[in-house]
Amino acid sequence: MTGKPPRDEVLGLADLHVTVHEGAATAVRGVSLSVAAGEIVGLVGESGSGKTLTCRAALGVLPPGCAVGQGTISFERQDVTDLSRRGWERLHGTGMGAVFQDPASYLNPNLTVGSQLAEVLRVKQRLPRREARRRGIDLLAAVGLHRPDWVFHQIPGELSGGMLQRVMIAIAISCEPRLLIADEATTALDVTIQAEIIELLRDLRDQRGLAVLFVSHDLAVIRELCDRVIVFYAGEIVESGPVGEIIERPRHPYTQALLRVASVGDFRRRELQVIPGQPPQVGAGITGCRFAGRCPAAIEACRSGPVSLVPLSHVHQARCVRATDPELTAVPVTTAAATAEAEAAELAAR
Amino acid sequence: MTAQVTEPPATAAPPLLAVAGVDVVLGHGWRATQVLTGVDLDIWPGEIVGLVGETGSGKTTLARTIVGLIRPRQGRIVFAGTEISGLRGGARRRERRSGHVQLVFQDPLRSLDPDLTVAEIVGEGLAIRGGLDARQISEKVDDALAKVGLEAALRDRVPGQISGGQRQRVSIARALAAGPRLLLCDEPVSALDASNRNYILRLLAGLRDSLNLPIVIISHDLSSLAGIADRVVVLYRGRIVEDGPVSQVFSAPRHPYTALLMASAPSVRGQGDRPLTVHHLRRTAADPPPPDSGTACVFADRCPFAIAACATQPPLTTVADRWTAACHRHQEWGELASKRPRHP
Repeated sequence: MTGKPPRDEVLGLADLHVTVHEGAATAVRGVSLSVAAGEIVGLVGESGSGKTLTCRAALGVLPPGCAVGQGTISFERQDVTDLSRRGWERLHGTGMGAVFQDPASYLNPNLTVGSQLAEVLRVKQRLPRREARRRGIDLLAAVGLHRPDWVFHQIPGELSGGMLQRVMIAIAISCEPRLLIADEATTALDVTIQAEIIELLRDLRDQRGLAVLFVSHDLAVIRELCDRVIVFYAGEIVESGPVGEIIERPRHPYTQALLRVASVGDFRRRELQVIPGQPPQVGAGITGCRFAGRCPAAIEACRSGPVSLVPLSHVHQARCVRATDPELTAVPVTTAAATAEAEAAELAAR
Repeated sequence: MTAQVTEPPATAAPPLLAVAGVDVVLGHGWRATQVLTGVDLDIWPGEIVGLVGETGSGKTTLARTIVGLIRPRQGRIVFAGTEISGLRGGARRRERRSGHVQLVFQDPLRSLDPDLTVAEIVGEGLAIRGGLDARQISEKVDDALAKVGLEAALRDRVPGQISGGQRQRVSIARALAAGPRLLLCDEPVSALDASNRNYILRLLAGLRDSLNLPIVIISHDLSSLAGIADRVVVLYRGRIVEDGPVSQVFSAPRHPYTALLMASAPSVRGQGDRPLTVHHLRRTAADPPPPDSGTACVFADRCPFAIAACATQPPLTTVADRWTAACHRHQEWGELASKRPRHP
């Protein structure tokens, strides 16, 4: 958790650019981040902010039409940016595992979950059938499934969403990867199950030293699980730092806005806040700060030229020309005046 | 917009909707599953009721039963003095086309016809009902779109060309165009990010305020519901286990399942200042085994406070004014929970 890349870095992205529509536009620009062994890093941002594309680039599974335009991806300090398809396949499962939002759509509905879990072990680890089955049942128990030998023989349709997500996590960690990428892995689950999956991920980190890149649009979930958080906006990192500091002292107006709309969890009646306006379209020609159009604190300097990430401490950085401006944090974020202003701005934006 | 608390409905006035003793069985023969058991639910004009529970608890089935898409095996559903669950044939069709009770379906991407424009989607029901010419329908469509804050320029787009938040608003506009007296929304915000979620919830609260429209919101996100709802109804495996005013239920829940839902909700403030965490409320291996009987309380096998009495399902009993809970130990478990270890 220091500014310089840690010795046990598992995933490192440096100045990553991802182009979409066959190179016509850049959806992820200049993303640099690192995830160390035993660390859980959260990526947060609105839909379309480039979180998922960043993950898919890191996994070497960009959708058709998308490509790494610039920058490097390293896994355990090895450059994997231009890895061949075979090379990525060797890395998948054994080096990095992934879990996505909708577990049911990643499993074959006609095969038992056990056969799908054992298949990975037999192909990747070359385990004999019987050994793969034994290891599979152990893994199902390790992800907290009761009656793992019963679950092993069920088809996906016979299991609940939370159980399927545990099966997906079991498959993802079956070949003992050092990195787990979880893209909105708890979004579709009930809150009680979500809380259990969060605990499971934390336990896996504690017991296996797994590095986790956890993507969510919900800052509250990130707060519960992650050590560090990276805030994405319109394809760029706008703020990053230790989760406690980002929640307590957010310096970027977008992070402040995300916090205003996040679940406080005190179950009180309150004025629900919204972030007025819409994020810019991918490929929009914006020279200055990409958030300036929605920012309550925008000044002329915001629009005049590119804004770089400003280090605020050795662990905290923000991409804002006013990041060190004491007045910025004094912007009344929850008062009625701010709400009225936001509403007026929103009406104007529609 | 959402700050004022509505006056508690006078209990003397009859509810707009009265669901009484409803049982629903889905499937036939050996596949038949009882999804709802003895559900009683009253909705008064102008209140927002949050219906919460986990997947498979019967929230969606209850909403579909109220709008008449599923016929209950037992029980009555009375809307504005008319029993709508018993209607057949033409009477049933007339009631449905009246548009009195409208359901906003989960997942607008799947429930909106991808080939129809926004204007066609919103106006289709009006055209089928008849009695209006094209110009009148068009006016009503514009009116409904304005109510949900969508500009008329979106009229000619198809669902694939608008954002997720806008699609959800089209779904709501479609329901509003029918002039409903009761609106049911099935997970209206579960697919949206936090800002859009708050926007939709504020929109619903505004509709309640301006039209005095009662709204039932199905959700598993209790925290944001607490921001706008007046009442919360908790379903667990097809039974209502708690029903009461939001402020009271969320400050001291009487059913351990409600407390578990609250403790599971993530918060940007973390779990540190919560009186009860999930560990206070989950069964551990050290707890005595739950009573094993066919008639046991639905929550007994997950409840750390289950005792011999829990071998029979407790009825919903009044625990305070306008507040009911179905728990044998509703007075005791709170204290027992706080004595359990905070960490596993």
